[in-house]
Amino acid sequence: MIEVRDLAKHFRVHQRQPGLRASLRSLVRREHVTVRAVGGVGFTISEGEIVGFLGPNGAGKTTTLKCLTGLLHPTAGTVRVLGHVPHRREPAFLRRISLVMGQRNSLFWDLPAADAFEVNRGIYGLAEGPYRSALDELVTLLDLEPLLNKQVRVLSLGERMRCELAGALLHRPDVLFLDEPTLGLDVNGQAAVRAFLRDYNTRHGATVLLTSHYMGDVTALARRVLVIDRGMLRFDGDLAALVEAHSPHRLVRVTLREAVPAQTWLGLGEVSSIDGAVVTLTVPRAETAAVAARLLTTLPVEDVAIEDPPVEDIVRAVFAHA
Amino acid sequence: MRDVLTAYPALVRSTALVAATYRGRMLLSAVTSFFPLLTMAVWLTVVAEGGPPAGWSTGDFLSYYAAATLLWNLTGDGVVWRWDADMRSGDLSVRLLRPVHPFHQYATADLGHRLAFLSVLSPALLLAALLVPGLDYPVGPVQLVAVAAAFVLAYAVSLLMASTFALIGFWSTQTSNAWLLWWGLGSFASGWVAPLALMPDWLRTAGLVLPFRTAMGFPVELLMGRLDARQTAYGFAVGLGWLAAFALLYRVLWRHGVRRYQAVAG
Repeated sequence: MIEVRDLAKHFRVHQRQPGLRASLRSLVRREHVTVRAVGGVGFTISEGEIVGFLGPNGAGKTTTLKCLTGLLHPTAGTVRVLGHVPHRREPAFLRRISLVMGQRNSLFWDLPAADAFEVNRGIYGLAEGPYRSALDELVTLLDLEPLLNKQVRVLSLGERMRCELAGALLHRPDVLFLDEPTLGLDVNGQAAVRAFLRDYNTRHGATVLLTSHYMGDVTALARRVLVIDRGMLRFDGDLAALVEAHSPHRLVRVTLREAVPAQTWLGLGEVSSIDGAVVTLTVPRAETAAVAARLLTTLPVEDVAIEDPPVEDIVRAVFAHA
Repeated sequence: MRDVLTAYPALVRSTALVAATYRGRMLLSAVTSFFPLLTMAVWLTVVAEGGPPAGWSTGDFLSYYAAATLLWNLTGDGVVWRWDADMRSGDLSVRLLRPVHPFHQYATADLGHRLAFLSVLSPALLLAALLVPGLDYPVGPVQLVAVAAAFVLAYAVSLLMASTFALIGFWSTQTSNAWLLWWGLGSFASGWVAPLALMPDWLRTAGLVLPFRTAMGFPVELLMGRLDARQTAYGFAVGLGWLAAFALLYRVLWRHGVRRYQAVAG
C-alpha cells in the first residue's frame, strides 16, 4: 500500500543575517544552505492501517507526508503509494488519496460549503449517486447540515475542519494523509474529529497516516507509530512497544484512607507526587505487580491504579535518547 | 482529457459564483474594463487637433477601441497573479493534490471570472455599437466566424503566454514584476497603445511576428475589415505558431520547475 525506501529530501534555502547591511549584501551575494529535512527514511504501511507519525517541530514529518502525496520530489530514495510513484501525480493516483492539512484551507474560501462540495464533485468526476451517498453520510457523521449554506470563510475553525474533512473524503480515498487535523480545535472538536476518523477507517477500510502534536490524536487512533527526529526514523512499531521500550517504569497511583508516615514509601518506589491522599509512585516495570500487592496488604488503601507514563514523556525520552 | 473536460464546467462555474459573490469588486472591475476607452479619448483629441493620420478616421478609432475594450477583457493574464500568490504562500499544494492539472484550474478560474464580467460588459458594448453612429464593423457572416476564431485564439495565446511566464515562479520570486515588464513592452507591439498600423515601420514589422498582436490587434483589425485573406491567414498562422511554442515551452518549464517546488507552509 505504502512503501518508502531510503527517502531523503533536501532543500536549498537562502539565508542572511538580520539588519540592513546584511540585507544589502545579500542583494549582491546570496548565501544558500542545504537543509536535510529527511535523510534516509524507510517503512511500509499495509492496507487499512492507522499509523501515527510522531516527532518534534522540524523533524521531517510533514516533508515526508508531502513526498508521499507527490507534492515534493524526493532528493533520493523511492516512494510508492497504491502502486504509484507519487511525484508523478497521475490523476489515477490523486483520485485515491487525500491530504488534510490542519492549517490550510482546501475548500473554496468564498463559496458556501455546499457549493465547494459540488466543485469537488466536478473535479473528481463523481457520478450523482455515489456523490449523494458520500455527502449524506458525511453530513450526518460530521453534523454538517447547519453549515452547508454558509460561506467557508465565515465558519469557525472547528466547523471549517469538519467541512475540510468532508471535502477531502467525498471521493472516498483509499489512503488518507492527515497533517495536524485537530490543530487549534477545542477538546470537543478534537474528540469529534477523532471519533469520525476512527469510524471512517472502520467503515471503508481506508489507510490513514496521521501527524499530530496532540498525543491524544495518536493514542486514540493509532496502534502503530513512526517516530521521526531530525529526518531519521527512530522507532517503528506498536505504541505499546514504544512505551515498553522507552519507559522502564510505570506509575502506581495510591489513594489512601488516612495519612501515613513519609518513610512508608521507602523500598516501594520513587515518590513522583503527593496530592492530598493521592500518592503517585514511579516503580520499575517488572516490580509493579509486587509493589501493588504490598500496598494493598500493608497500607490503608482505598484505591490503586497502575498506569503508563504519558506518551508525551516517552516520546520526549526517545528524542533525548537519540 | 475527458476527466479534465468533466471538471471544466464545475471549475468555471465556481469562479463565476465567486465573482458574483462580491458585488463591489464586480462593479470596480466593470469600471476598469473600460480603460481602453481612455486611450481612445487621447487619440480622438489628437485627431481633433492635428487631423487624422492617413487611413484612420475618427470613426475608425471609435471602432478600434470599442473592440479593443472587449479584447482587453478577454486576456488571460490574470493567471500570473494567481500562480505567483499561490507559489509564495504554498497554496499551490492544494491545487497539486487535485486530479486536474493546475494549468486547467487557473485557466478555469480566469475563464469563469471573464465570463462573469463579459456577461455585464457585452450588453453594454452591444448597446454602444447600436447607439454610437461612428462604430462600423463591415464584416459578413463568413468573416464573423473568422473573427470569433480570432477571439478564441487571442484568449488562448494570452492565457498560455501568461501561464508559461508564471512558471518562472519556480525559480524566482519576481514573476509578477517580470511579467509587467514583458507586458509593458508587448503593449506597444500588440496594438494596445496605438493601432499597429500607426507605429514605426520597425515596430510594425516586429509586431507582426511577436505573440502580442494575436491577443489584441489581429482580432480587432479583422473585425474592422482591414485584413485581406492573405493577411488573415498570416495572422492565424502566427497565432497558432505561438500557441504551439508556448504549449511546448510550458511543458518543458513545468517538468523542470515542479521538481523545485518547496510546498512551503503547512
